[in-house]
Amino acid sequence: MGELSLLSNGVNPVLLVVVPLALAFAVPLIGFVSKKIIKYIPVVAFLFNLIVALLLIPSVLKQPIVVKIGGFAPPFCINLVAGPIGILFSALIALAGLLVSIYALNYIREGPQEKYHILYLLLLTGATGVVLTGDIFNLFVFFEILCISSYALVAYLGNKAGIESSIKYLIQGSVGSSLLLLGIGLLYGQFGTLNMADIANQIHSASSPSIFVPMVLMITGLGVEAAIFPLNAWLPDAHSSAPSSISAILSGIAIEVGLYAVIRVLFTIFDASNFLMFFVFLGVLTLLIGEMCAFSQKNIKRMLAYSSIGQIGLIVFAFSIANTYGVTGGFFQLISHTLGKGLLFLAAGYMIYRSGSMDISTFEGMGKRMPLTSLFFTVGAFSIVGLPPFIGFPSKFMIVRAALSTGELLFTILIGIVLLGTVIEGAYFFRVVQVIYFKKGNGNPERKKAPISGLISMFIFVILILVIGVYPNLITKILNSAASELLNRIDYIRSVLG
Amino acid sequence: MTLELLLIVAFGGAFLTYFLGKISPKLRNSFAVINALALVVMTACLYGQTVEKTLHFGFLGMPFVLRINMLSWFFAITIVGIGLLSIIYSLKYIENEKRLDYYYFTTLFINASMLGTIICGDLVSFFIFWEMMSWSTYLLISYKGGDKALFAGIKYIIMSIIGSLAMLIGIISLYTHFGTLEISTLAVQIQGASLNYILFILIMFSAAFIIINAFWPLHTWLPDAHAEAVSPFSSILSAVLVRKGMYGLYLFMYMILGLNILNKLKFGFISFTGVFCWIGAITIVFAALTALLQNDSKRILAWSTVGQGGYMILGVAFATTLGMAGGTFHILNHCIYIGLLFFVAGAIEYRTGGIRDLDSLGGLIKKMPITFIGGLVGILGLIGMPLTNGFVSKWLIYKTLILGNRPFLAFAAFLGTWGTILYGYKFIHNIFLGQLPEKYKDIKEVPFTMRLPIIILTVLVFLFGILPGIPLKMINIIGVSLGFESLNVSLGGITSDSGTLNTINIFAGILVAGIIIWLIFKAGRKAPKVNQYDSYAAGAAIPKGKYHYTVNFYNPLERMITPYLKDFVDAFYIKITEWIQNLCNSVRRVYTGYVSNYVMYIVLFLAFLIFVQLKWSLW
Repeated sequence: MGELSLLSNGVNPVLLVVVPLALAFAVPLIGFVSKKIIKYIPVVAFLFNLIVALLLIPSVLKQPIVVKIGGFAPPFCINLVAGPIGILFSALIALAGLLVSIYALNYIREGPQEKYHILYLLLLTGATGVVLTGDIFNLFVFFEILCISSYALVAYLGNKAGIESSIKYLIQGSVGSSLLLLGIGLLYGQFGTLNMADIANQIHSASSPSIFVPMVLMITGLGVEAAIFPLNAWLPDAHSSAPSSISAILSGIAIEVGLYAVIRVLFTIFDASNFLMFFVFLGVLTLLIGEMCAFSQKNIKRMLAYSSIGQIGLIVFAFSIANTYGVTGGFFQLISHTLGKGLLFLAAGYMIYRSGSMDISTFEGMGKRMPLTSLFFTVGAFSIVGLPPFIGFPSKFMIVRAALSTGELLFTILIGIVLLGTVIEGAYFFRVVQVIYFKKGNGNPERKKAPISGLISMFIFVILILVIGVYPNLITKILNSAASELLNRIDYIRSVLG
Repeated sequence: MTLELLLIVAFGGAFLTYFLGKISPKLRNSFAVINALALVVMTACLYGQTVEKTLHFGFLGMPFVLRINMLSWFFAITIVGIGLLSIIYSLKYIENEKRLDYYYFTTLFINASMLGTIICGDLVSFFIFWEMMSWSTYLLISYKGGDKALFAGIKYIIMSIIGSLAMLIGIISLYTHFGTLEISTLAVQIQGASLNYILFILIMFSAAFIIINAFWPLHTWLPDAHAEAVSPFSSILSAVLVRKGMYGLYLFMYMILGLNILNKLKFGFISFTGVFCWIGAITIVFAALTALLQNDSKRILAWSTVGQGGYMILGVAFATTLGMAGGTFHILNHCIYIGLLFFVAGAIEYRTGGIRDLDSLGGLIKKMPITFIGGLVGILGLIGMPLTNGFVSKWLIYKTLILGNRPFLAFAAFLGTWGTILYGYKFIHNIFLGQLPEKYKDIKEVPFTMRLPIIILTVLVFLFGILPGIPLKMINIIGVSLGFESLNVSLGGITSDSGTLNTINIFAGILVAGIIIWLIFKAGRKAPKVNQYDSYAAGAAIPKGKYHYTVNFYNPLERMITPYLKDFVDAFYIKITEWIQNLCNSVRRVYTGYVSNYVMYIVLFLAFLIFVQLKWSLW
């Protein structure tokens, strides 16, 4: 153990951002040498990131690592804060990034591949930067990197739907970004600092209206990317017209990172505990609207996209309960959504490829034509619905426990409504599973598996879903310390400012 | 170790069966049978043991408790027993279907999860196994494909999920209140809880158990699911899976809450158990009369499953020693004869090419004698004829109702039995009696592996009918362990102050009477034998195959009862579903597709927040 901690002390969290960023810019250069190895660059980058993140976990659990860039002490420099939340998210981003890039080895065959890989690397670099940074303007910059690369990737296929939804996404995203920037500007004007811990430290010294406006501006701005109702109208279009590998990342990582920024702003910077009740209702509303919209979808990817809105609602609800169980459950649900929805999009990707259409009814007899992919899809669907022994169950269990442990009647009723949302979710996922397996297809019953790289990446998703689902204790430790980082803002401030 | 081994064999066997199927179908079939047999043997060896052990690798820091006692053994043996017979029966029945690996895997997996719910001793494992059972059942109900089967599957899983989510709220609420989910600890701690809280929890749990038990008004999934599933699986569904709901009620009402609390749950003249009794009574009458109207062999049986559940809950919820014994015994009996009847219906399907329509069958008695005997005995058991097992349990339940001075409940129970006689006769007559349709001339008896389960269950119907003491002894132990008084059980029945039942005497009496009647007939003139087509029709010659009195079997009666038997509950649920569907469609319009609207949403959201804060300064 001693050796391991020594080793991890030697690893610098900056690498998590620098390496993928450098590799992103190296892609065109490497492209001169050989076009063929380009697609392996993201695999290498995120494998590296995953290893680094995992190595950092033991030491981060003891003490958050604060990296001072330029050698100045925190309020005066841009700093990275690799606390449990940051590392949890970076590990998740690296994991999803790795698996999806393995999937993309074979899946991305058309279009400007070089640009795909650059943008892909940039997108996830931005995401990692957002979760690691301790500086609010830096957060904005990384956030823009994330958003701009996702606008471009949504339009990657170059068809009409892709470009249209990309532009819609761009417009809404820019409105959000400008609101965010406005909020940051107002904060800077008041406190004269951009360091998150420093602002958080002084926040109670300001009058309440003068901090309410920047808070609302920032939340609205970030809420667009976090897909909170009613700011999420870009999502169904964007997620359904992007290539499936990108949909998996958008659904599994991008909106989660947006959500991370929202809770970071709410919990750590503004300490807005009395504002959270509003978010409880907003979460339930988001969940219901998402699930209800998904229910009547005939297009598989739109269905999955709306279901992501529903899941985000559930996560927002969990975080806003704001007790230990709630926040832990929120993080857990986040992970289970990343794994479950990622898997679903990837599996749907090859099924769409095979059937030639996104229409659910064309998936008839898919169980025979692509047995493994269908099985993986089913596992993902069951996990999202929250059935044991998959990962969705322990996370849902924790959220229900959080709601009931408040002991308030209101929360009992709300969790009832949330679970009704689950029933609707179950209904549309089970319908798809039935179409895949039991509807008698008249299409050609030719058996053809998805390519091996795709299967491997989906298989790893399935293994993770099952293993964590059966034995959730595997990750509860990091979840608990992530929850305590979020709930004890004083500790966060102290560890950054020293 | 044995309990863990049991689970490992059950689940491991299911997976192994699947992979063996990839190598060779024969290997898979024999392994499936061996696996099911091994489970029966292992469970049988656990008889009479009371073990509870805690494994510390459980879910989210909660320990995983394994436990067996007489109650769980009782349910476990029915699961593995019917499981084995169903697998044997499937060997031939399902032979020509596709995706057999999947079929055997899912069947074994369902059995394993059911076994899991029975032998775990904490509620979270109970829930996990319960949900695994739910979704794997859903995967098998629609196995046959086709719109009807798909509809049945989705109906089942949605109702089941609603139930289990209610249960989940109950379980987690218990956990936040008492900090433990071990059943034995919970049973002690819950005694101090307030009655209102207990009622809340009880309602949450009951919702799940009533749905899976298919009691009125939450029965609507069952007729579709049971009719559309493949027959060997229908018998698992009907005989054991549905009765997991009964196990849940035992577990929660008697094992955790206990009689003391249960008797305290009274609000004026409405008591909790009383409500259950009336649910049972309504279920009995409604289902029996609805079954009469069915023209599909498996639908009749499905409705009878609903109805017989009513008897069980009537006995169990009555919460007297006698009622408890009757209800519990009825679970076992129903498991035996409904399993048998579904096998019979499946045998008919198998030989006639999937015909379940009672109007187009008939006269199969000579072609399929063993199946006929199985069907007859099953129906007799269902009706509760003396010498069959159904008689004893129904006798106990009637006795309970009469002793408890509940004439209306007793009337409902009797009415249900009359209905059962009518539809039972219809089942036998329309399939086996009357003229044989021309097209079924060359039908043969079903193969041995399908006959074997039928024969075994037929024997069991009589065995437990003539010697009810065998299971009653076990049931007595269960009753005592749940806090009821001990019964005076002998091999041939029950002796008590209020009445004695001795089936051995009845058996002897009937045997003597039978011999006398046979001797009288022997002495009399021999009856002339005519062939099956030689029907009497008031002197007119009737073409072959035209005269078979099955269509509109109980026409006058049907006309009388139909208006009262609209399944308005089902219609109501369907209406709700449609309503939700429309609602979903209109909610979807929020996303108009115009980006200007979307930007407006963002700005309005911001404006709303600022406005609210400025006006009321809520935050």
